[in-house]
Amino acid sequence: MIMQTIHKILRAGPILLLLGLAPGMAFSMDSSDCMACHGEPDMVGEELVIEALGFDHTAHADVGCHACHATITEDHPDDGLTPSKAGCSECHDEIGEEYGASGHAENAGCSDCHNPHRALGPTAVSGHDMNLQCSACHERADMQTRHAEWLPQADLHISMLPCITCHSPVEDFVISLYIIKRQSETLFGQFKLASYDELAALAGDKPIQELVDTNADSYISLAELRMFNLDSENKQLRLQGMMTPEVVHHDFRAQDDRWDCSFCHASGPGAMQVSYLSLAERDGSFRRVAVEKGAVLDALYGTPDFYMVGSTRSTALNYVGLVILAGGMVMPIGHGTLRFLTRKNRRHEEK
Amino acid sequence: MLSKTKIYLQPTPVRIWHWLNALGIITLCVTAVQIRFPEHVHLFANYKAAILLHNVAGLVVTFSFTLWFTYYAFISRSMLKVYLPSKDDLQVGLLRQAKFYLLTYFLGWKNPHHPTPENKFNPMQKSAYLAIMFILVPLVSLTGLLLTNVSPMRELVLMVGGLKILIAIHFLLACSLCAFLFTHVYLATLGKTPMAYIKPMWTGWEEEEIDEHPHGAA
Repeated sequence: MIMQTIHKILRAGPILLLLGLAPGMAFSMDSSDCMACHGEPDMVGEELVIEALGFDHTAHADVGCHACHATITEDHPDDGLTPSKAGCSECHDEIGEEYGASGHAENAGCSDCHNPHRALGPTAVSGHDMNLQCSACHERADMQTRHAEWLPQADLHISMLPCITCHSPVEDFVISLYIIKRQSETLFGQFKLASYDELAALAGDKPIQELVDTNADSYISLAELRMFNLDSENKQLRLQGMMTPEVVHHDFRAQDDRWDCSFCHASGPGAMQVSYLSLAERDGSFRRVAVEKGAVLDALYGTPDFYMVGSTRSTALNYVGLVILAGGMVMPIGHGTLRFLTRKNRRHEEK
Repeated sequence: MLSKTKIYLQPTPVRIWHWLNALGIITLCVTAVQIRFPEHVHLFANYKAAILLHNVAGLVVTFSFTLWFTYYAFISRSMLKVYLPSKDDLQVGLLRQAKFYLLTYFLGWKNPHHPTPENKFNPMQKSAYLAIMFILVPLVSLTGLLLTNVSPMRELVLMVGGLKILIAIHFLLACSLCAFLFTHVYLATLGKTPMAYIKPMWTGWEEEEIDEHPHGAA
């Protein structure tokens, strides 16, 4: 942990240096000055506008505009100079190295997938949004056809997993539960990830978190999950579970161990203990609320739409099944024993 | 005086259905153990092989069910006669047969039921097979078909209550079918010899002892 922190500080060295030098350069323009113009499409045009709502909560906003656009002067834009843009790998050097060595680097640069003014950490992005980055190049229908050649229920896997679950060397996963909403009141309307505005409209005066977290303690208990899933008022809402990575790697080659279904499906219920409710925020990011440990293993109404065969089996149901099977053995064992003990009776003439 | 006679009890389509069903259900049970407990059970090469075999076996059972239904409903047209317990079966027959299995069998008495092609099942068999063939097998097959391809039939899955409820129904019904299998195989050995009831399901012919003078024998 300490080493990671030191590495982060070293990686951010150039930026910190610039920030340290900035006062010495008597440079008084700060990010809010930049946003005064770049937050307004009327002033800078659609191409140069930065949406404040999405930018303000990124780590890039924390380091400030000058960290990446270092050559901007007090006279911008009247000086006629084009501001410099820092290369991503100046800070994200390890990621740059990993990505550079992968086949993807030949076809796409960082900004083809990431908007630096909206860049968020993996836990603040929904699994659906992660896949939007991939599907910009890898057309979904084509991917489905190619995966269906070897992967059972390819369409289900592609909808319920971020691509990087198998196409990066991630080992650490959690179950993220997203609220999805039926898009029309009709019986067969499609379900889609509920936006902040949709959830806010449903929550009314309350924070959207309280749609599930009814006691507002920022912790979703199994009882609250069941209540949400059984509440008839929520019939247009469902909880969709996705197995999402906790960290992101940028080597997007398919991992050898992911060809074998057992990587996920034989990980056992022990690996399925941690889950979060992931809620859409106003700025387009997602915020996680902790869910009771082991909730996704509940037999019926904890997460009725999330089941990973082999991994999220319910222990309670296993016992019920065992009792049923034992019931089937009553006749062979009980009757069989008496049959053996009374075998002499059947050697004589039948009565 | 007892004389032996042979009755053609199990026609060929029924025998094909029965053994196809048996093979399918046993394969389903064995693969299901690996599918549910993959980190503990490794009977098949890999998880995908177990799932594919389970799916194929499920389709075989569904197909054999269709064969059975078609034969009894449309060809021999004897489905109700063979499988539906009569009023007499329910009022007297069930108790008489239960008494045989649970008491008089141990005393060495004869089975009170004498099969004929039109009445080949005793009242307990009729009731059990009615539940198995008209409720259990169709429901296990339908839930299994839904689970085989979830995405296109998602609305049907939601109607059931969700994937987990569907899995729970499939799992518990499958356990019940497996439990029935234990009892079924055991009861099949209760003939005069352990193979006496099993052989007719292979050859079609059952050997029956008939008392030619039931009232005259002293």
